[in-house]
Amino acid sequence: MSNGNLTLKETFFRGIWKENPVAYQVLGICSALAVTVQMKTAIVMGIALTLVTGASNLIISLLRKQIPPTIRIIVELTVIASLVIVIDQVLQAFLYDISKQLSVFVGLIITNCIVLGRAEAFALANPPLPSLLDGLGNGLGYSLVLVAVAVVRELLGSGKLMGIAVVPQVWLEAGYAHMGLMTLAPGAFFIIGLLVWLKNSLPGASHEQK
Amino acid sequence: MSESPRAKRIHAVKFALLVSVVCCLLITGASTGLSPLQQANKRLDRQKNILKAAGIITPDGTPSRIQIQALFQEKIETVAVDDAGNFMDPSQGQGLSLYLYREKKILKAYVIPIESRGLWGKIKGYIAFERDGKTVAGFTVYSHSETPGLGGEIEKAWFQKNFIGKKIYNAQNEFVSVSIAKGGIAALPETEQAHSVDGISGATLTGRYLTQGLKENLKQYESVSVKLRQAYQKKTVGNDMTTPPIKETN
Amino acid sequence: MTDLLSLFINSVFIGNILLSYFLGMCSFIAVSNNIETSVGLGFAVIFVLTITAPANWAIYHYLLAPGALSWAGLGHLDLSFLKYITFIAVIAAIVQAVEMIIDRYSPVLYSALGVFLPLIAVNCAILGTALFMVEREYTLMESIVFGAGSGTGWMLAIVAMATIKKKMRYADVPDGLDGFGITMIVGGLMAMAFMMFSGITL
Repeated sequence: MSNGNLTLKETFFRGIWKENPVAYQVLGICSALAVTVQMKTAIVMGIALTLVTGASNLIISLLRKQIPPTIRIIVELTVIASLVIVIDQVLQAFLYDISKQLSVFVGLIITNCIVLGRAEAFALANPPLPSLLDGLGNGLGYSLVLVAVAVVRELLGSGKLMGIAVVPQVWLEAGYAHMGLMTLAPGAFFIIGLLVWLKNSLPGASHEQK
Repeated sequence: MSESPRAKRIHAVKFALLVSVVCCLLITGASTGLSPLQQANKRLDRQKNILKAAGIITPDGTPSRIQIQALFQEKIETVAVDDAGNFMDPSQGQGLSLYLYREKKILKAYVIPIESRGLWGKIKGYIAFERDGKTVAGFTVYSHSETPGLGGEIEKAWFQKNFIGKKIYNAQNEFVSVSIAKGGIAALPETEQAHSVDGISGATLTGRYLTQGLKENLKQYESVSVKLRQAYQKKTVGNDMTTPPIKETN
Repeated sequence: MTDLLSLFINSVFIGNILLSYFLGMCSFIAVSNNIETSVGLGFAVIFVLTITAPANWAIYHYLLAPGALSWAGLGHLDLSFLKYITFIAVIAAIVQAVEMIIDRYSPVLYSALGVFLPLIAVNCAILGTALFMVEREYTLMESIVFGAGSGTGWMLAIVAMATIKKKMRYADVPDGLDGFGITMIVGGLMAMAFMMFSGITL
């Protein structure tokens, strides 16, 4: 991939919207959905992933001339896994409640295709600064989808946003019921599907290649 | 780069070693450096759950670190009891751990740690009893791996608050524990309603395992509860009790 | 015995690793266009999971867990923070070894599964199963059953999805929803169907 004609700004923003990883590259949805029942967990997960993607891209890019091609993937995985462990330890130390809810899903960032995908596709061929921005941009794009799904699920599923009830009591008394489906797994599937539909229908977005 | 294959191979090995060493240092550093904080967090989380079970803090309350520690220090005493329900010296071995909640030296409630099987993994939590030795004062779960939205609801306040006021003894003074019903308890005969809580729809198995686990755990503490109940009936749990009634038999 | 059977049924249906924990999505979406490939990949996942789950169990319980090194006189050590990196390395190594072994001894099996094996090393379902196994404190036997059950559940989901996609080729899906979008919607419907098994009691 040649990115000689891309400005730094474009490198950063491209990952957030135009080539948004979840919707377009169909990558990394793995661990995305299980933590989207609440906004709080989704946001923390998004931040963790953005940091890991940014840092791993930066490190891989710094090492890109030294990495022997034969052990490329394993070196990338080692770097990513170490970063994830550090993030997990930090979460356990400073955000214990949230880390309890995220449980194994922080660890699963390792196998998240976005992280390895960006390292392979971008960081190996580009200088450190653009790589860092590319990583952060892609991480943020992913977080955007995660939080969008979480907003819908938390709002419809339990009538809350960030744990604060927003559905007025009057509605509940008038017979409004929370949509239990949204707190369960199928809800996440439906929302992602509809989100992709929405994005494809918006002007300016190129249609997904089949 | 026009290196010989041999030089390349050596470079690869060197590189791999270097990466491993650096990564090792990084994660070991992070882990050892942060582990005191993590341990403190774990302790705090348990203390918070004990306080919640005893009803000292509300289920939705978010007390600060310092508040939790202060409350725990002030109101909760950690003791160990042997199989007969007597207090034991911590130096004499493990025993069963028990937490006593006292308000101005009067025993208000006692908290028993629960460890039960769940559908997927262990369910860990606390159950508190009032000083009569038979009425549940609260129930909390601090660790479980049940399916979110189904069995995972056991960690929610709506489920836990149903335990409050339930009795673990029936009218004949026999131990019956508390069970999680399949569905609502309204469908149960009236005699059983006092010992059952509403189940979670779609989580029959979680409920069944938890029922079993509660029964097993509570049975272990039966001797303690019996002592408390006798003491309560004899009105020896007076207002000026400085020591819990179980201590008298020591 | 009934406990193990119940664990198996649960991990195939109610706690389906794909449909209720979203693990192994990448390959689920990429490969489910073709029934035969899905069957192949499904078998490969069952195979690898059944081997890696107990292997990771042994490594965790004899090397990493708090106090696990007491047989070497190092009982005070707690290396559990190394579990992510160790599990991923063990999985990659086992996948590589399995690939070489079946290439050498069973060309037929290799031609069926071979191309999928490298894909599996980075499949979150495999790492996820290992991590769940640790978190849920399974015994060795339970971890084998859980590995096999999760794999079977994953295969069931991907093959069903491939079959539905084949039928759907003749359906008129709205333009923007075609492809990825409709896959997710169908996944959601499947997840709902699988949840109905949560009434099962053994």
